[in-house]
Amino acid sequence: MNVPAIRIRGLVKRYGDLTAVDGISFDVEDGAFFGLLGPNGAGKTTTINAIVGLASIGGGSIELFGHDVVGDWRAARVTVGLAPQEYNFDRYLNIRDVLIYQAGYYGLRGAAVRKRADDLLERFGLTSKAKLVYTRLSGGMKRRLTLARALIHEPRLLILDEPTAGVDVELRLELWAFLRELNVAGTTIVLTTHYLEEAQELCNQIGIVETGKLVALETTANLIGDRSLQDVFLELTRR
Amino acid sequence: MNWIGLQTLIKRELVRTFSIINQVIWPPVITTLLYVFVFGLALGSRIKQVQGVPYATFLIPGLIMLQVIDGAYGESSSSVFQGRFMLSIQELLIAPLSAFELVAGYIVSGILRALFIAALITALGVILVHTAPIDWGLYLLVIVLVATLFSALGVIFGLMAEKFDHIATLTTFAITPLVFVGGVFTSIAFLPPIMQRITVFNPMFHMIDAFRYSYTGRGDVPLAVSLSVVVGLAALALGVAFALTVRGYKLRT
Repeated sequence: MNVPAIRIRGLVKRYGDLTAVDGISFDVEDGAFFGLLGPNGAGKTTTINAIVGLASIGGGSIELFGHDVVGDWRAARVTVGLAPQEYNFDRYLNIRDVLIYQAGYYGLRGAAVRKRADDLLERFGLTSKAKLVYTRLSGGMKRRLTLARALIHEPRLLILDEPTAGVDVELRLELWAFLRELNVAGTTIVLTTHYLEEAQELCNQIGIVETGKLVALETTANLIGDRSLQDVFLELTRR
Repeated sequence: MNWIGLQTLIKRELVRTFSIINQVIWPPVITTLLYVFVFGLALGSRIKQVQGVPYATFLIPGLIMLQVIDGAYGESSSSVFQGRFMLSIQELLIAPLSAFELVAGYIVSGILRALFIAALITALGVILVHTAPIDWGLYLLVIVLVATLFSALGVIFGLMAEKFDHIATLTTFAITPLVFVGGVFTSIAFLPPIMQRITVFNPMFHMIDAFRYSYTGRGDVPLAVSLSVVVGLAALALGVAFALTVRGYKLRT
């Protein structure tokens, strides 16, 4: 049996008196396209931050491809790439160097890294902007750069936090096509989004969190049945 | 150990330093030039000798220490705080870099910036007042120790600060006053006895005095005492910076 890409057991995260994540457990199978949905403040980003190491874990455990994110953190982090919601690029580097330095932080360098950076810039239509700092890019270009940076070290698991927020329809469709292609090639993808049609279109498994608890975990087909994802989502998350 | 990651972080910090060269490299050089002109050449010509050497020779090591302290603290404090403020430090936090590697990256970068500034001011000393270190080993040792101490303090304040103003607090209310009364411009032998006794509790005095040994071969207190103070403080600051980073203090939620 394959080791799951993500195995979360009893994850708890508290901020003072607030319990942001309250005992969540679930697996994401290797190769899955998983949607993590929920209203604002439900605990999606906190869960993602715990997976990638941006949030400490108050209780429970997380494994990535069998590597515990606390006990075996170095091996775990190599497996995952994060495309965050915010544009948090290094403002002192041009965008080609943003990719090359990010690979360096993962212990990678040399001609292969430079080629991969150039390939990613080309794949995302950013080659002509390679020598610019990110502040000179449009919103859509920054979104594509976020994705390129997350992929520079060829992670087995890609986590996307609102990847299409604020982008136009054309770019959204382009990103969808790219993500499908990436998933078919074997990359496990976890997606959070407020665009329910995006999750319905892309994901083969969906988890819905509400006030820090997992209220649904199903294949997309089983979860929706003959209804729309929006109806199911509203029914499960009505406070 | 992620050596490539550590080297990449150091390289990134150097890129940052040289992309803001007009903020962090030229100002200390020009300020030192003015100090040398006003205190060393103009006023200093009225002072015959201090600790048995010309006043300008006495002055240069103090001025180098002043800028080494400022440069090392400025490098790590502003980089850590800016990374937190702009969230770009998350690039490092999600990567397979340990707390040790992160702290080491900022400390080594602070040392390199300090050494670069020190080299420029040392060259100024050679050109303007014809003075150079007589003990290069001690010269390098003290710069590295002092830069380690203040880079570590920079990491600590960069982590703790809630706004840029907080970073300036240490510089404005502690570093600058203590350096200026710590023997940059005068020997403590010039001070009243009560001030002499107080000054030996000023850590900056020990840094400047130890460094001055590398130029003059003498100081106000034994070299071993001064070096012990600097080593002790550097170890303490490193320990605190490392402990905060391991905890993810204001880095990880």
